[in-house]
Amino acid sequence: MTILTGCGAKTAILGALLFGAAGCATSDPTPDNMVRPAVETAPADLQLLCASAVQQATGTSRETLPASSQRVSANAYQVNFEVGGTVMACTVDTAGNVLSVQPAAT
Amino acid sequence: MSAASSPKPRRFLTAAIAALACAVALAPGQAFATQSQVFDPKSRTWVSYDRTKAYQYYKAHGKVPDQYQRRVVSFRTAEEPGTIIIDGNQHFLYLVQPGQTAIRYGIGVGREGFGWAGIVRIGRTAEWPIWTPPAEMVARDPNAAKWVNGQPGGPDNPLGARALYLYEGDRDTIYRIHGTPEPWTMGLSVSSGCIRMVNDDIIDLHSRVKVGAKVIVLMQGAALYKGV
Repeated sequence: MTILTGCGAKTAILGALLFGAAGCATSDPTPDNMVRPAVETAPADLQLLCASAVQQATGTSRETLPASSQRVSANAYQVNFEVGGTVMACTVDTAGNVLSVQPAAT
Repeated sequence: MSAASSPKPRRFLTAAIAALACAVALAPGQAFATQSQVFDPKSRTWVSYDRTKAYQYYKAHGKVPDQYQRRVVSFRTAEEPGTIIIDGNQHFLYLVQPGQTAIRYGIGVGREGFGWAGIVRIGRTAEWPIWTPPAEMVARDPNAAKWVNGQPGGPDNPLGARALYLYEGDRDTIYRIHGTPEPWTMGLSVSSGCIRMVNDDIIDLHSRVKVGAKVIVLMQGAALYKGV
């Protein structure tokens, strides 16, 4: 067992307090967000924006629905579609701008 | 579903499946495959939001969680006003409005294995609809047996105040958007595929929608609707 004394002890204690504070600091959700999905998906309107973009990009005549979606950054989601045996990935930001439509990485 | 006429065998089967799809309710306290979480202020952790938790929340607050209450929200879409968008994963139903907005309602959806996705339309509507339990339910449940000829519409009817019947083309999908006598189930995945709303909300939605309105059901992880 290592016993810290003097500056080493103070540093260790301060570090533990900061680390503990950072690890435990969880702001409570607002009253409007007390329930959440267990798995985060893209908002419905962003999913539909991507659906239109994928339909245009692939030239399909039928409306397509997403197979899955997930948040990929603080400001963007990826929405995935199965089109003719190919999985297409659409990236859309939270402002509703479709950033890309391309075959998903395998 | 109306029991006014003598149904042909296919319609009877459809009606039976519809009744089962919309009105099967599991006992309070039974564990479910969970799709939502609720923040527990005592432990400051996210815990499973199941039937028991939802009922406790409703009893404690007298209402469903704030986010499931009806409101106007921003909604960026090219879909025409009057289109209904159902987000089954987040338990919201959107009625598209002009100006890139929508009225958002909280909903309950199908439990694990009973979800579905697709593009359908409103084929017909009903106020205080009759509910007819399927034969299997009548056989095992005395409470259902007394309604073998159809439970009249009313506050205890599983379909609630209104029902919007979802069709694909001219064929009844067996799925409905309907009210419920269990308002605490908003935000839960408990039904056999139907979309349920609190009665005030289904009355509001019913007053705004038209037969023929397009309904887009988004539910990731669920099978695409392929017909009955």
